[in-house]
Amino acid sequence: MGDLRKPSGIFFVILGVILTAYSFTGVRAPLSDYDLNLYTGLVMLGFGGTLLWLAQRPS
Amino acid sequence: MQLAPVDYLILALYFAFVLGIGWVVKRQVKTTDDFLTSGHSLPTWITSLAFLAANLGAQEVIGMCASGAKYGIMTAHFYWIGAVPAMVFVGVFMMPFYYGSRARSVPEYLKLRFDEKTRGLNAITFAIMTVFSSGISMYALGRLFELVLGRSFTESVILSAAIVLAYTYLGGLTSAIYNEVLQFFLIVLGFAPLAIAATMKAGGWAGIQSRLQPVMTHSWSYLGDAKQNPMGVEAFGLFAGLGFVLSFGYWCTDFLVIQRALAANSMSAARRTPLIAAFPKMVMPFIVIIPGIAALALTQTAGSGYELPMKNGSYDYDLALTTLMAKFYPSGLLGVGLTALMASFMSGMAGNVTAFNTVFTFDIYQSYIRKNAPDSHYLKVARVTTVVGIVLSIGTAYLARSFNDIMDFLQLVFGFVNAPLFGTFLLGMFWKRTTGHGAFSGLLSGTVAAALTYGLSVAEGKGGWFGNLHDFPSAMAQNFWIAIFAWTTCVFVTVLVSLLTKPKADSELRGLVYGLTEMPREEVAWYKRPVPLAIIVGIALVILNLLFW
Repeated sequence: MGDLRKPSGIFFVILGVILTAYSFTGVRAPLSDYDLNLYTGLVMLGFGGTLLWLAQRPS
Repeated sequence: MQLAPVDYLILALYFAFVLGIGWVVKRQVKTTDDFLTSGHSLPTWITSLAFLAANLGAQEVIGMCASGAKYGIMTAHFYWIGAVPAMVFVGVFMMPFYYGSRARSVPEYLKLRFDEKTRGLNAITFAIMTVFSSGISMYALGRLFELVLGRSFTESVILSAAIVLAYTYLGGLTSAIYNEVLQFFLIVLGFAPLAIAATMKAGGWAGIQSRLQPVMTHSWSYLGDAKQNPMGVEAFGLFAGLGFVLSFGYWCTDFLVIQRALAANSMSAARRTPLIAAFPKMVMPFIVIIPGIAALALTQTAGSGYELPMKNGSYDYDLALTTLMAKFYPSGLLGVGLTALMASFMSGMAGNVTAFNTVFTFDIYQSYIRKNAPDSHYLKVARVTTVVGIVLSIGTAYLARSFNDIMDFLQLVFGFVNAPLFGTFLLGMFWKRTTGHGAFSGLLSGTVAAALTYGLSVAEGKGGWFGNLHDFPSAMAQNFWIAIFAWTTCVFVTVLVSLLTKPKADSELRGLVYGLTEMPREEVAWYKRPVPLAIIVGIALVILNLLFW
């Protein structure tokens, strides 16, 4: 019934792009010492990319 | 909590994907089996994550974070002792009967194994429980969005109900399962940064240990005596109540989770489903419980900038997760966190609604209202039942809003029903002498025993309907002991009545009972076989418990 990895991969890539791009606005949370938007965005890009790569592989 | 446009954008993106999945899956739904059982066509990784995500509802994420702050790392027993062994048991021993019997639901298995009245009793109680569970998820979501975002209760309930209705109506079980997998990824990726950031702020695990009493950071050391730990339970109550009766009662017999395994594309995949799900289940405490413990550690650190909110003179643990998000998440990630929270509520709702429409269509409508109709008729009924299930859930959400105690009461009822049910299944699957009359009377008497235990004991001001013969140190200890009494009574009465009534012939029990069923031969690589997987899960579980002893 279709490969779920494709839509999931696309979703997380888009989410990763949004968070990574938004991190450049410099917005920080009151108690966070790190740029969480950037780090989480990059992890989501990597995760989404991995799902898409797995979906592209011949089974 | 103030949301920025980027947070709304992320929420809108998620809704678009969820509905899109429902729309794509709709084209492949042609029969009732496609709609209600996914045509037994899904791969193991999907059914495994859905098996887990269907349980990641309202209580899980917010409730476990709150319990982490209240009880410490002992809360992880709800995952380690209170889930993983039962998941292993259902995969290794019970799935061959569920999947092998070709039953489309748990009540249908009871019909095949016992008789119509046992199926009817289970189908009706389960259908009522799922509607209430779904409604309580909606209620919790509505309350949360009212408190945190200032949105109206009705607006939140209607929006979430409409989205869940749209994708479950369009794509049935497959759509619900696909979305549960997406929701699982989102919950993990949306909350893991919070666990990491809050723990680092509290000085890492070593820093948390130095700031809190030792009982909050050890899972077993203080279980020798109920008075030594904040849960008020001792090792036996934990093992027998949570680790055996409640946990096995839920993971081995609740159709909500079993349905996900039955959607797998083979017997082998169905058996692996709970075993593979056990791996992420073991590490979930690091995502949902650790933030709560870190919240308490930060509260007890002067100048940390974070404090748990107060309510009536004590900490309001239920707000631990959302207040942490407000302090640690910037705009953007805040949208991801809220979307993950929404996803957890929606996966809980959708799981209950898809289980409800299957049980209603197969076990109530097809069995008692209209037999032998064409498949297209049952498909129509299944879709209409989806709408009815959602509408009833909305009604339950408003009912929960009107009566403060209804949530506690319903949680109790679930314990009343699930604990004896596991006794019935255990005997039914592993003792061929068990009869339908025995199973039915055991189920009823177990439920009555649960009600009596609650009615004759008191904990935290709850219970004592008929008097007070015993005071429990906590409501949790009371729940564990209710489950123990209910299960024991069910087993005792089932055995007694079975011995006095006529059993089914062996020929009628093939494929349904251990000893009369040839266990499936696994023609797959060793690491995909249930027993080696179970051993690996067991070793990982022991290591985790030793690390946090």
